[in-house]
Amino acid sequence: MTDSSVVTFGNWLQHQSFALAVATSDWAYPFVQATHFTGLSLWVGTTVATDLSLMGMGNQYQSPLQLFNALFVWNWIGFCIAVLGGFLLFSAAAATYVINPAFLTKLGFLIPVALILHIVIQTKMREWGQQPTMPRVARIAGSVELLFWILVVTAAVSIPYFG
Amino acid sequence: MVSQIGEALQSNSVIITLNSVGWMAAGLEIIHYFGMFVLVGSIAMVDLRVIGIAGQQQNATKLAQRLFPWMWAGLALNFLSGFVMFAGIAASYIPDPTFHMKMWVVLAAVVFGIFVQWRVPAWDKSPTMPISAKLIATVSLLLWVGAILAGNEVPALSGLG
Repeated sequence: MTDSSVVTFGNWLQHQSFALAVATSDWAYPFVQATHFTGLSLWVGTTVATDLSLMGMGNQYQSPLQLFNALFVWNWIGFCIAVLGGFLLFSAAAATYVINPAFLTKLGFLIPVALILHIVIQTKMREWGQQPTMPRVARIAGSVELLFWILVVTAAVSIPYFG
Repeated sequence: MVSQIGEALQSNSVIITLNSVGWMAAGLEIIHYFGMFVLVGSIAMVDLRVIGIAGQQQNATKLAQRLFPWMWAGLALNFLSGFVMFAGIAASYIPDPTFHMKMWVVLAAVVFGIFVQWRVPAWDKSPTMPISAKLIATVSLLLWVGAILAGNEVPALSGLG
């Protein structure tokens, strides 16, 4: 897609009735924001707890694998809620978002990389959990993922600075 | 008296610098959001475990003991960054009714969070979670979602922040 067709798409999206409802309603916008942030609390909160346990931080009441198993389902429920809220927020001003460099960095680079790393960690978790201590690669993967989600939040907060 | 404290806070040179230098102001927001996610995510998982819809194969006390240090760390990051942002325009926040509502909801959520943390080991001793425990955990969860919503209502209704 060329730049202009992305903007055309953004314009089309933000004129859909659901997007107009979010953008123009006095009460809807904070509720949609709260949906995004509640989903993110579950997603980022559970992801950070898992990453920190991989890094060997915190107490040892549960092994990293036990903690991961307890958090796994709500980790992804949080992700779905965050995506739903995020899509609605995006729709409300889509044409502005698609040309915002901070938004493009967030969605086009940081989130895909962080997500791939997240899924790799989740598929490796069982294998790492069998070993008496976390292997070095697990510690590194946990630290890098943690860093990437901090960068995602950084890019998100930077969006208005470029708008 | 209170408004004088507000004026004093927002004319403090450290507070002014932290809120007016671009990357520092952005840094405060990043810490505020990130701390909030860690705080709310940790307490929400314990609430969901007590309610009976998360990690049922796991011991609730151990899960709580594993997560609560991160809850406190998240609260500290969230509170400190929030205080500096509040101080930057304290005289406007202090009389604002939406900001008062946010602070009351956050205070109630913190009280319930601490109560859940305190009671989990006792609740965990019975074979199934007592119904009172599930109710308290549900209220805690709703208060935390309410705290997030109230946080969004401050700029939406009062135009502050």
